[in-house]
Amino acid sequence: MLLSPDFGLLFWMMLSFSIVFFILAKFGFPVITKSVAERASYIHDSLEAAKKANEKVVSIKQECDELVASARAEQVKILREAADTRDRIISEARNQAKTEGMKELQVFKQQLQSEKEQAMRDLRLQMAELSVGVAEKILRSSLGSEKAQLDLIGRLVDEALVSKS
Amino acid sequence: MLLSVLLQAVVSYTGLGAAIGAGLAAVGAGIGVGRIGGSACEGIARQPDAVGDIRTTMIIAAALVEGVALFAIVLCGFILK
Amino acid sequence: MKDFSRIIVLLFCFVAASALHPAFAAEEQGKHESAAFSAKDVIMEHVTDAYEWHITTINGKHISIPLPVIVVGQNGLNVFFSSKLEEGHGSYNGFYLSESEKYKGKLVEKNASGEEIRPWDFSITKNVFSLLINSGILLAIILGVASFYKKQKKTGELKAPRGFIGFMEMIVMNIENEVIKPCIGKNYAKFSPYLLTAFFFILINNLMGLIPIFPGGANVTGNIAITLILSLFTFFYVNIFGTKEYWREIFWPDVPIWLKVPPFMPIIEFVGVFTKPFALMIRLFANILAGHSIAISIVCLVFITASQGPALNSSMTVVSVLLSVFMGLVEVLVSCIQAYVFTLLSAVFIGLAQVEPHTVKR
Repeated sequence: MLLSPDFGLLFWMMLSFSIVFFILAKFGFPVITKSVAERASYIHDSLEAAKKANEKVVSIKQECDELVASARAEQVKILREAADTRDRIISEARNQAKTEGMKELQVFKQQLQSEKEQAMRDLRLQMAELSVGVAEKILRSSLGSEKAQLDLIGRLVDEALVSKS
Repeated sequence: MLLSVLLQAVVSYTGLGAAIGAGLAAVGAGIGVGRIGGSACEGIARQPDAVGDIRTTMIIAAALVEGVALFAIVLCGFILK
Repeated sequence: MKDFSRIIVLLFCFVAASALHPAFAAEEQGKHESAAFSAKDVIMEHVTDAYEWHITTINGKHISIPLPVIVVGQNGLNVFFSSKLEEGHGSYNGFYLSESEKYKGKLVEKNASGEEIRPWDFSITKNVFSLLINSGILLAIILGVASFYKKQKKTGELKAPRGFIGFMEMIVMNIENEVIKPCIGKNYAKFSPYLLTAFFFILINNLMGLIPIFPGGANVTGNIAITLILSLFTFFYVNIFGTKEYWREIFWPDVPIWLKVPPFMPIIEFVGVFTKPFALMIRLFANILAGHSIAISIVCLVFITASQGPALNSSMTVVSVLLSVFMGLVEVLVSCIQAYVFTLLSAVFIGLAQVEPHTVKR
């Protein structure tokens, strides 16, 4: 009797288990398993995104560092160039001053030369007059015309100069 | 159920046969499950970090062996009825 | 950790409740007019079906829930409460409870030639009523858990649940990932709802059967009809969704020709198609029935020794209570294991039927 299934019970069991199975297969277990799978893939995706973001941060940091290093090198270069330019300008100015000085020196020298020559000429003239006077005095009488006087003097001065040199 | 068998006055040999059958089934189950437990203990002793797997396998195997023993008991009960 | 301690408390309540069997069994003695206490009758009364739900007996008066009787007899459809059978002294409208060996305790009527026949009996018996209650509990639990996830999807924030819902999710995902997915293989999602439903159905019915008081206490899964339908479902799932290769391997397996032509292997394989679900049915039925019977027998120890002096009786009571607690623990374990084994074996059979043609030929 225990081993003979009762018909009514068979019917009710089939009915209720089918209904329970149908309801749970539609609204019960797939919801649970799908949600858990979704959550797992969400976690997986979040982890992947976090890893990618981390890598990106690292690469950006590297770029930043490179930029800063190159900027610093630029800075050093610019400073050095500025120093060089300054030195160059100074030396140029010095050179220029020197040349200017030399030029002025030349001018002065020329001026001096011309004044010297002028002075020499004046001196010659005065000497000539003096010597004429002296000679007049000495030779008061011999020199009658002016032309003959000057000729004589000229000859005498040239001889003096030649003998001096 | 074994108690009920004892209480019943054993006159016919069907009862005796069923009772002995049920007893033998119990002996078989005892030997089977005992061996399962023994090998499970040995396995755990050999590799203690597989305890979880071995325990699960032992319980499943014990359930299957007891299923066979209960076949016999159900059959004996059937004869009794 | 908090959930684990809650589970332990729940299990202990089950065990403690099932250890209350002695208290509820006290009334059984009054029921039987016979001088000797028949443990067998007590056991049979507890594990078999009935037309009313007998809760207790106080001072010889039965307190039971009358359940509707729905029979289609020779005079058509009859629907009445089983209390009417009591009132009419065991008979109503031509139907009466049979005392014969064949139909003991079932509703029968007399046909034209005076012999007892069984009408079409669709009554809501104790097992059916318990089945409906337990199905309701199962639906409430699982749909409640699923609604948590539906609500989550609406807000869009995916968080892991805590407490009871987390516990249920853990069990569901454990079965899906450890039992169903490895056994079946790639199209496991088609079979997973049935297997999960079967697991929780068997588990809840087993556990409810351990509670001695209404609404528990009915021996649902220890009834051959229930397990028959469950294994029938597995049988259909295995064979209807079995691949062509599976059927080919049954009727024309890859064995030497002298095993195929006088059909030894095909017949053995074909019988195997039926014996596997049959084994499932008998395993669950026998385990649960045996558990209930042993538990009740231990309780009946008290009453068997009742007439043999107070000393023996009191010591036997102590022994009985201790054994009852132990048996209760074993019963809870067996309930969970049997549900798990049923699901595992169904998954294995379905997986074996989803076989693809092997590419390597001998």
